[in-house]
Amino acid sequence: MRIFVRRLVRRHPETGTIALVFIISCLFVAITHGLWLSVGNLQSLLRLTAVLAIMSFGEATVIATGEIDISVGSTFGIGALSFLGLAPLTGSSIALFAALLSGILIGILNGFFVAVLGLSSLIVTLGTLFLFQGIAYAVTYGFSFAATNSVRQQVVYHAVGSGNIGNLNVAVLWVAGILILLQLLIFETPLGNRVLAVGGDPASSYSRGVNVTKIKFGVFVSSGLLAAFAGVLEAAYIGYADGSFGVSMELSAIAAAVLGGCYLRGGRISLVGTLLGAFMLCGIQSFLIILGVQPQWYILMLGLIVVFASLLDRTFASVVARK
Amino acid sequence: MAISSNCPDGEPLISVKDICLSFGNFRVLTDVSVDFYPGELVGLVGDNGAGKTTLIRILSGMIPPDSGEVYFDGRRITRFYPKLAISLGVESIQQTIGLCDNLSVARNYFLGRELVRRVFGIRFLDKKKMREASTKVVRDFGLRDSIDVEDEISLLSGGEKQTFKIARAVSFRNRVIIMDEPTNHLSVRERGRVNELAVQLKQQGLLVIYITHDIFQIHRIADRIVILENGRKVADVLKDAMSAEALEEIIRHGGHEPKSGPTGS
Repeated sequence: MRIFVRRLVRRHPETGTIALVFIISCLFVAITHGLWLSVGNLQSLLRLTAVLAIMSFGEATVIATGEIDISVGSTFGIGALSFLGLAPLTGSSIALFAALLSGILIGILNGFFVAVLGLSSLIVTLGTLFLFQGIAYAVTYGFSFAATNSVRQQVVYHAVGSGNIGNLNVAVLWVAGILILLQLLIFETPLGNRVLAVGGDPASSYSRGVNVTKIKFGVFVSSGLLAAFAGVLEAAYIGYADGSFGVSMELSAIAAAVLGGCYLRGGRISLVGTLLGAFMLCGIQSFLIILGVQPQWYILMLGLIVVFASLLDRTFASVVARK
Repeated sequence: MAISSNCPDGEPLISVKDICLSFGNFRVLTDVSVDFYPGELVGLVGDNGAGKTTLIRILSGMIPPDSGEVYFDGRRITRFYPKLAISLGVESIQQTIGLCDNLSVARNYFLGRELVRRVFGIRFLDKKKMREASTKVVRDFGLRDSIDVEDEISLLSGGEKQTFKIARAVSFRNRVIIMDEPTNHLSVRERGRVNELAVQLKQQGLLVIYITHDIFQIHRIADRIVILENGRKVADVLKDAMSAEALEEIIRHGGHEPKSGPTGS
């Protein structure tokens, strides 16, 4: 039995998260007398989960290589601001392109310092977090960017966040698509095998002919791209964005990934788990709202969860390390 | 002066000329020149810190030398990276690296040269083929039946990991096998098997470079013995030209031939 559990956890690190999400969800439903499970709440919960999960997937790919990307909160904000800042001038398509490009450029910057120059990703991305946070405040100058009426009519604008398909926001479709794509990429392709290998043991991967620099560079670019896209989805849904857009979301993204069974030392990640981790965080947030608790308390909860998640990370490591 | 005796005829497969390498102020290799021929088993011997591992790290593309030239099959090598070495058919079994603990046995086996099948032009891992091929190899090399190639390699014992590395190195079509202390972690019987394997590979026409501390062990199987001392080549002799005892004396005297002649043994 214990061997079975160990093998299960080893091969499917999200096992614990699935159990945890189920228990917490039941708890929330019971405490709120079913209100948490209402259609309205689920709709907004799923949309929030989708946006956070897309960002967390990028974080998970970085964590897979044993690095970390703290700058995703600012990249999220820059993506949102680029999109809403440009859309009234250029139309949504070009604005979307520019927003994704800005995410890629931030990823290239991070990747250059971490993968090429070999600096610590913790320090580099902490620096770029502040750098682009500063730029976001500087360009908005205390005001916010908003989508004009003509922008709100555009198909692309609907496709990247404001539209619904049935009862579901398009973000839910996007997260499903991205999940399938990344799941195949990481676990079913040679490239994914090398990403995990680099996280497991960079020197050994290099000795087997894996280009460690290229792999690490690539995951930072993908993280930047996904964070910027998540920012666009959020911005298009809300319709305006200011300089504080995305602030402290990097914490949620990292927490979602770790709660989902991504191993901070690298080499082991779960994307399904990360999605569930994001669902859990957003679920707690909506639970607090339903209870009428001040939203500021969510930050406190988030802090507790991050501490708890690091404990989980170590417990998980010890389960896996045991022979 | 280095002690040397005649080398085999023909063109060398790997030729190292006047290689120097420093880590910071520390000189690791000084003007090392060695020729390696196909179908030859060369023992690379020397004390700790003699530069053996550094030399093979250059040959396996892990690090470039500061100066000097390396030729492979007559072609000058100008850039050093492991992928190039592997694609030229130089496979190395290194001591501390080579395995990713988080990956399965099958994924470790094929890391860097994964088997793929194309679906709509996209290269996906051919997990079935990878599983079958790696299972066959680990069974042939006598790893216990309870090991499933889908299990993480960290479940293997030290000796099993070493056996796996050797199995992986020799089962692809190669021209050169470099073994750095291959018998570490192995039982007496397994050591015998590795040494037999080294001889078989040589007989198949491969160049085998075998690094060890144990001059007596390597003297039994090698064709030629190269001794490094403090980053310099101090001896390069055909096995038949000198006894193991005489070679041991050279190592003991820091690379100089004992003045009083060969000690009685």
